[in-house]
Amino acid sequence: MAAVKTSRGAVPHFILPLSILALLTFATLALAITTGSVSISNAELWQVLSGGGEPLHRTLVFELRLPRALSAFGAGGLLAVAGALMQVLLRNPLADPYILGLSGGAAVGALSSMLLGLSAAAVSGSAFIGAMVSALTVFGLAHGTGSWTPTRLLLTGVVIASGWGAAITFMLAVSPSDQLPGMLYWLMGDLAYARSPWPALIVLGLISIIMLPLGRSLNVLARGQMQAAALGVSVRALEWTIYIAASLLTAFAVVTAGSIGFVGLIVPHMLRLVLGNDQRLILPAAALAGGALLTLADTLARTLIAPEQLPAGVITALIGVPTFLYLLHRSR
Amino acid sequence: MLKPIFALALIAIFSVGSAVADICVRDDSGAEVCLSKPAQRIIALSPGATELIYAAGGGDQVIAAVSYCDYPEAAKSLPRVGSYNRFDQEAILAQNPDLLIAWIEGNPAEQLAKLKSLGLTIYYTQLNDFDDVSTSLERLGKLAGSETHAKLAAEKFRAGIADLENRYSHSAPVTVFQQIWSNPLMTVNNEHIISEATRICGGVNVFGGLPNLSARIDNEAVLAADPEAIIAGGMGEENRDWLDEWLRFSGLTAVRRNNLFFIPPSTIQRPTPRLLEGTILLCQHLETARGRR
Amino acid sequence: MLAAKNLIIDIPERNSGTPLSFEIKPGETWGVLGPNGAGKTTLLHTLAGLRKPRSGAVELAGTDIQLLRRKQVAQQLAVVFQNNGEGFPATVLETAMIGRHPFISPWDIESAEDLAIARAALQKLELGNLEHRLISTLSGGERQRLAIATALSQTPKLWLADEPSNHLDLKHQVQIMELLAEQATGNCGIVLCLHDLNLAAQWCDKILLLYPNGDACWDDADTMLATPALEKLYNQPLRSIVSDGQRYFIPLSSRNSG
Repeated sequence: MAAVKTSRGAVPHFILPLSILALLTFATLALAITTGSVSISNAELWQVLSGGGEPLHRTLVFELRLPRALSAFGAGGLLAVAGALMQVLLRNPLADPYILGLSGGAAVGALSSMLLGLSAAAVSGSAFIGAMVSALTVFGLAHGTGSWTPTRLLLTGVVIASGWGAAITFMLAVSPSDQLPGMLYWLMGDLAYARSPWPALIVLGLISIIMLPLGRSLNVLARGQMQAAALGVSVRALEWTIYIAASLLTAFAVVTAGSIGFVGLIVPHMLRLVLGNDQRLILPAAALAGGALLTLADTLARTLIAPEQLPAGVITALIGVPTFLYLLHRSR
Repeated sequence: MLKPIFALALIAIFSVGSAVADICVRDDSGAEVCLSKPAQRIIALSPGATELIYAAGGGDQVIAAVSYCDYPEAAKSLPRVGSYNRFDQEAILAQNPDLLIAWIEGNPAEQLAKLKSLGLTIYYTQLNDFDDVSTSLERLGKLAGSETHAKLAAEKFRAGIADLENRYSHSAPVTVFQQIWSNPLMTVNNEHIISEATRICGGVNVFGGLPNLSARIDNEAVLAADPEAIIAGGMGEENRDWLDEWLRFSGLTAVRRNNLFFIPPSTIQRPTPRLLEGTILLCQHLETARGRR
Repeated sequence: MLAAKNLIIDIPERNSGTPLSFEIKPGETWGVLGPNGAGKTTLLHTLAGLRKPRSGAVELAGTDIQLLRRKQVAQQLAVVFQNNGEGFPATVLETAMIGRHPFISPWDIESAEDLAIARAALQKLELGNLEHRLISTLSGGERQRLAIATALSQTPKLWLADEPSNHLDLKHQVQIMELLAEQATGNCGIVLCLHDLNLAAQWCDKILLLYPNGDACWDDADTMLATPALEKLYNQPLRSIVSDGQRYFIPLSSRNSG
């Protein structure tokens, strides 16, 4: 039995792309801690990393760049995995983590607390609450009569999302002018808000581990609810798990970095074009690639026109859109 | 004791004079604004405009304002005609005003153009430096028929600033980071009125050379610039949270020397006579910073 | 092996009709006949445990199928659906491999043996050289064969197939029916929803007629395939011809009834 199992088809097929992505992740993290408004030479960086170096450099590397890079990695990974899950759940390769209104709910939560002049921690907290309220509302409404088709879920989500959109516009319209930049930057998504990278990284790790054994069931679910049920998948339980997981992932991402666009849509989609549709490969690959993309985007956002800053969401779009179009074009 | 009576007499004389001739001033758009008699029904279309007209002595004639016009106290109870960036034209017309005080940069130009085409008189404000504050007071005072009061206010402002300038502008320079927002971290360049205050107090804005009036920067840039003092406003007039966030960077000179200063944002960010208060505070803070060398 | 016990399928706003009670034994091939909308697909899904019946029960090896875990059911019973267009992009081999899903534990991955089974199924349906093609690039007939290959790699004891000959050219129709007959010979139970009377006559041992009002009757194919009953079922005049001992039905039209 063991002899047979050693000649598995799938594993070697996973190792190469995941190693490449891991290297890429490492490279972007390295770039993120070596670049910034202050230039630190390699020798100085080495001193810092080996426990010495100038105090300013230590502060820059350990208190600013590293936590921010890890937050970017965490948020990017969360969004990409959430996007990959949403796409399977809705059987729609164009779904993104925000399609069901989560980011809208989070934004309304965050903007409300900004309007009330609450602290940054309270802004994060209310963003999380907003996202969860949105997720539960969509879940309850779509699920109402018992049948839960992707179309029904999608429609409910899209309507709720546009409701949040109106609420956001309203809040922007009535806010005092000095509050507006903060609100707009939050809506564009920005790593400057990241407080600690750990919640994002821990949630990313936990949910990835939970999703690992479900990977093959996801592949089956991707063929349709009926087919999946006929192949022994408890469809409803699996769909709820995916929905809850994707909601939590998105909520933590939004709390970490505001609503950053494109990562959740483009990363899983790009990976599918290159690596195929095996979710067991796509999910860990999305965690790495999404994390790497956002880390790179954030590094560029804070260095391109330093000391002035760009919103990271702009850079993810600038990197993501052409790459995506190229891949789409190449794949016939 | 005699002074007020004298002033009243002066006002009386001026009023008689202006009843015959048109009152004309040039506004900040460069246009001539003329009234046949001092404005009786004034609507101020921005918080800054509201402060200016009150300071110019025309407060009694102000009949309405927009949201967030919170200074002086009397302005809080004025009827509102919308917000500065989107006002209710019907409400404005219904008030039958004889003068609107608009804000070029903040008010929607199309709405103002519409009101102008309906025959309303509009005075456009755009204050870019300290000098604009005193001249605006004088011009608005003239329109409101409170010229004497306005002249006194303008003189007081000019003298106060000149005094600060004499005392501090040649003192040893203090490098300053002027934080106007946190999350995202924002500062201003030398074109901004806050930087003028800093200059008067003998400070140097470390981000003065940035191309845009206000700019979003990152913590790292502040660490790199290592200013001697950090001057911040806050969300609300009393909130020092923004300054506390710097405490974790013990390597910063400003943190080491405890030069983290709070200035109520409305006294330093709005181009109004209250700038004097804010600037006095700023000069005191920078002097404190010099003492901590 | 699979038994209906006083089964009434749940079609909204339709009378309950005849309760169904029959058993599909190993080696039997059942044909379900009925006009469009009679509920053939609903019956098939109910038999597979994918829909709850209005009343009665479906039993798989003596246990109510609704009480069994889906995975246990899937290890014995395969369903071939009518529409295979739905879903995400996937390759032909990936699709055939999901037939192995019920047999692999969550923490495990496909073994070489699973891969061999899926490849053999593809070979059998002449899809071996399309392994790496995306489903979206396949023709309707190829997709239909892929659906059957997926069921084949599931190595079921029971086949529930909804119009398995759909989209297929004549050669592949025969090939599929032969494959199913071969499965029956290997002691599988087979249930087919069919609209082609002649396929039913040629390949089925048992026939179940399903009327749009919910009435139903079932018995050996020889007794059930009588012209008057079928004419009533489809509300369509038929002519029956016997050639080489095999019965054929031809629908008559008023225009060419010469």
